[in-house]
Amino acid sequence: MKKIILVADDSPSIRKFVSFALKLKGYEIISASDGMEALEKLPNAKINLVITDLNMPNLDGFELIKAIRNNVELKEIPIIILSSLSGSEEIKKGMEFGANSYLAKPFDPQRIAYEVSKYLN
Amino acid sequence: MKQISNMSDLFNRLNDLKFAFKYGQELIPMIQSIIDFVKETVPLLEDINSSIADSTNKIPRVRDQINNISDSTELATTEILDIVDSISNDISNVEEKIKASKESESERQKHWNEIKEILNKSGHTQLIDSYESSDQNSILSSEILNTLGGIKQKVYNITLSLQVQDITSQQLASVNHLIEAVRAKLSSLILLLDDKEISNVESANSEVCESTTFDPNASYSKSPERQELVDDLVKNNLDKTSQEEIDKLFS
Repeated sequence: MKKIILVADDSPSIRKFVSFALKLKGYEIISASDGMEALEKLPNAKINLVITDLNMPNLDGFELIKAIRNNVELKEIPIIILSSLSGSEEIKKGMEFGANSYLAKPFDPQRIAYEVSKYLN
Repeated sequence: MKQISNMSDLFNRLNDLKFAFKYGQELIPMIQSIIDFVKETVPLLEDINSSIADSTNKIPRVRDQINNISDSTELATTEILDIVDSISNDISNVEEKIKASKESESERQKHWNEIKEILNKSGHTQLIDSYESSDQNSILSSEILNTLGGIKQKVYNITLSLQVQDITSQQLASVNHLIEAVRAKLSSLILLLDDKEISNVESANSEVCESTTFDPNASYSKSPERQELVDDLVKNNLDKTSQEEIDKLFS
């Protein structure tokens, strides 16, 4: 069975980039345009991993991570942050909130595939 | 005696009045030049005011145009990505077919070896040489697979380069944010200068796209240094967290 990855990013092109990079590796991709949409989709699909941006409308990436980690059923899902914010404060906050990996934009498709495989293979 | 004192007061006052008139006469040209200056300045101030109002009214249009540019590049990028995706799928399909053909090739090679043995026994060595020199399938398949591997890598590189669109749209959103700040400042300036103009300006204030989020420092770089720096920070953070956990255990 294909592993399912939820990609939360307000940029349609980034959602497509990630989808492009991971589809080739055999993963199924579900997209969300913000944290709120991601939270709505998470319980309904059996998501194996979340890739999230930090700057998003309605509910940002930090809040999304917090919500996932505070949910008993979702808290074990690995989370990868994919953001153009790469200052030490954001990284520290992201990791403290419970992210497993942090990737900077623009990202290397092979690197993201590698990070995903660390948690799903 | 009192009458004399009153008269002296009166003369003093008249003297004061005379001086006042004298200074007044000297001041009149100066006051006139101030009035002339103000008269000349008023149209200029009105011009400045209307220019500010005009510029302020144009700002929402500039902002909309920037948003349009961002939307168009987003659309174009998505279209390019769809094409790239399709190319990538085609490459994968061709690769699969060549690999399958290579597998059947080894089967064919087995048969050929048997035929070759028969031909050798019957002395048809020339026929064998001629067939083997014309059979380039195996070499060609490997070369095609190598070429396809190279194309696949280039397709990957295209996706990496196309991410410039995301960074550019964040930079444009940041510029829009600055433009909006300037518009707000100009609007308040107009409010100070002329109450009437503000209604026009406010009505021209199209809604700011609050759903747009951006990183004002977003920059495009293909150099791996940025990710290496992030990796270092993540590692340091994880090390620190582990240390904190150890400290907690022993405290």
